[in-house]
Amino acid sequence: MRFLMPFLLKLLPSKPVFAHCDIPCGIYDPHTAQLASQTVLKMVQKMKALPKDDIHSLIRMVSVKEDHAELCKREILILWTDYFKSEHLEKFPDLHELVWKACKLCSDNKRAVDEVKAQELVEAVDKIADIFNETSRL
Amino acid sequence: MKPPVSKFKVYGNSMLPTLKPGQEVLTFNWGKVKVGDVVVVKSAKLKVQSEIIKRVQKIIDNKVYLVGDNKTESTDSRHFGPVDQSQITGKVLYYFHDATAAR
Repeated sequence: MRFLMPFLLKLLPSKPVFAHCDIPCGIYDPHTAQLASQTVLKMVQKMKALPKDDIHSLIRMVSVKEDHAELCKREILILWTDYFKSEHLEKFPDLHELVWKACKLCSDNKRAVDEVKAQELVEAVDKIADIFNETSRL
Repeated sequence: MKPPVSKFKVYGNSMLPTLKPGQEVLTFNWGKVKVGDVVVVKSAKLKVQSEIIKRVQKIIDNKVYLVGDNKTESTDSRHFGPVDQSQITGKVLYYFHDATAAR
């Protein structure tokens, strides 16, 4: 038996069997990305309104903006790589382009203090959230 | 009639530490199962189209309650409920322990 079993295993073709866990499938949510993008916009607006000598607040706001732009990109990428499927892409063919641009906007917002770019990020993330909400109802 | 034995390669973490991803197992497809057996199941209840591998925790009437050994990373009867015994396609007879040879 000890020698027969490994021999049988080698001869037989193997099929996949899944020791699976699909728990993460139930907990996708675009809300974190939306909050992060709105935080980026808010920080840009607050920085612009800040007195020039308030360096301490400025540094804190830059830090929060950076962190939330990074968080936003991460959350978008999780939705893109783990949640969205090919059937969603068939229904929303510009999804890849939208995700790509949103991620670029995250990077732009890390580099700059630009209210237009921050607003564009909020809108791009909202569009991805709309697609998510539409597809999660299917 | 299905063959008496089948070979499977494990994907996923839900049967750790008993079964590692990439490890192969031999199943016996004819006998009855008992509590504690590791079984291969194909059920319409499952999201995955392929077969899954879990351990029998209890048997009630004609239904088996399946749980992964790695409970924090397993989707099993705790989520999809018990499955009919008829959906068990085989019980694991032999674990191929040499993970490198199983690749």
